[in-house]
Amino acid sequence: MIYTMDRSFDLYRRRSDRVAAGVAGGVADSLRVHDTFVRAAFVSLSTIWGLGFFLYIILWLISFDDVDDREVELVDGQQGIGLGLAFLGFLLFARVLGWWPDDALVWIVTAISFGVAALTDRALPSPLTSLLDPGVQQPGRIRVLIGVSLLVGGLAFMSSTIGPIAELGVVLLAVALTGLGLLVAFGPWVRRLAQDLGHERRERVRQEERAEMAAHLHDSVLQTLALIQRSDDPIRMSLLARHQEGELRDWLYGNIPLDGVDLMSTALRGIASKVEQDHQIPVDVVTVGDVNLDESLRPLLGAANEAMVNAAKHSGADRVSAYMEVDDSTIEIFVTDQGKGFDPAEVGPDRKGIENSIVARAEKAGARVSIESEPGEGTEVGISLRREGQ
Amino acid sequence: MSTKVFLVDDHRLFLAGVRAELAEEFSIVGTAYDVDAAIDGIRNLKPDVVLIDVHMPDGGGVAVVTGVAETNPDIKFLALSVSDSAEDVIAMIRAGARGYVTKTIGPEELADAIRRIDAGDAVFSPRLAGFVLDAFAGAIPSTEDPEMDQLTVREKDVLRLIARGFAYKQVARKLNISIKTVETHVSSVLRKLQLSNRHELARWASKRRIV
Repeated sequence: MIYTMDRSFDLYRRRSDRVAAGVAGGVADSLRVHDTFVRAAFVSLSTIWGLGFFLYIILWLISFDDVDDREVELVDGQQGIGLGLAFLGFLLFARVLGWWPDDALVWIVTAISFGVAALTDRALPSPLTSLLDPGVQQPGRIRVLIGVSLLVGGLAFMSSTIGPIAELGVVLLAVALTGLGLLVAFGPWVRRLAQDLGHERRERVRQEERAEMAAHLHDSVLQTLALIQRSDDPIRMSLLARHQEGELRDWLYGNIPLDGVDLMSTALRGIASKVEQDHQIPVDVVTVGDVNLDESLRPLLGAANEAMVNAAKHSGADRVSAYMEVDDSTIEIFVTDQGKGFDPAEVGPDRKGIENSIVARAEKAGARVSIESEPGEGTEVGISLRREGQ
Repeated sequence: MSTKVFLVDDHRLFLAGVRAELAEEFSIVGTAYDVDAAIDGIRNLKPDVVLIDVHMPDGGGVAVVTGVAETNPDIKFLALSVSDSAEDVIAMIRAGARGYVTKTIGPEELADAIRRIDAGDAVFSPRLAGFVLDAFAGAIPSTEDPEMDQLTVREKDVLRLIARGFAYKQVARKLNISIKTVETHVSSVLRKLQLSNRHELARWASKRRIV
């Protein structure tokens, strides 16, 4: 609701967050102070021949229902103190005019209600909570001090004036003073303790993460480093390092297919990694696009595997490349090496066998295979599958 | 006069190795182990080509490339990294590097890449070619400059062959074009990669990391 100028001095009763009819809340919103203080003022004034009670009724009659409760920005401490002093002045004025039942009653009730109001504000956590938990917003230290002294003063005054319960008053005073003393003495210590507990908890979580990471690194990276140190074959060393690098990267970046779906690219990389291990030759895999792996595509991977093994065993090249491209209409896999190559027209029976195994596997999946090679110019096996109904 | 090369890598051992490999053919004018020293050194020594590591504290290779480009836009960068993750590759290229190769590259290939960069060409590893094809695949969203957001059929052909592991020379022969034409296509792809305002490029790169 827009808070316009001409309505700003109208009094609206609160609907929400009220104790009786919402008048005190409405006054608090208009004066922009905490409602607890307004309530304390009404209670205090009621001790003067019921003035507070009648004032409440009158304000109730002249105020409007607040349809939408407004967001009220509270005034700062200085203005609050001003309003408090004005209220005190009004009380003294009433006393001079003779509207005054009894010093003891008015001052005690006023001190105790404002003391309670200062200490208990529903919008803020209790002073004890704020002392214990440094994370929560605290009521001002001065406010707590004023509240406690008002409360203790009021109780002390009460104990000294009202005869029959004078004994009880002393006890209350003693308890209050002891409590206050303990709070001042041990509050900061308790608070630090709570802080330390928080630190400890965070530290423990960090250490657990560290331990998990250390365990993983020990199982994988340190083992591999040990293997590398024991190896005197540079090719094997670099393959071990390469394999470890891929594994570590997967672990660090979570390179794992989601929802248990196997991707064609992941499977192809897996095959390449196995060929690297078995045949001690790097296999570079590049993929463009992807497709979920299903049974109908496995023969393609089988054929690609044969082609990689073939290149690793016979080409003499120092590395093998595998390239897969998937688009809406086709899946293509190329296995390329820059090795010695061969003349496809003059292949020996053993070569023919390997070629057949590639071709046979691919054709099972309905794919076509092309083999390009020339002596001295490397070899490339292309496997191409037209995707139907996609 | 031989090409002046500057090396930047926070792994001193690796740097020493590369230096030994290249010293015969190129004049290594300087080396640096961190971002600030690299920017200062490159500005002072004005090398032809900088071999730059991607992962370094305080901003990494991208910080060096952008820092030097402010004052010396004519110095060319070749990124050299253990990482071949799409994000790193795309970030380096978009910062202005003219090529990207992984540290597994052989000494001869590396020397060849430096010569190519020095001549003003672009150097794509098979992996980078694959990334570009992947990033520019599919339907093109309507943007202000569709030219920049698409690869020509020929450019795709060239990239495919590079991704399959062929050297430029072989790519040229397979497509019946000259090496110079291959280089022109690759440079044009590099420009598109650097200038394309295709929003997917960054998002695609970060998505790639988890798929």
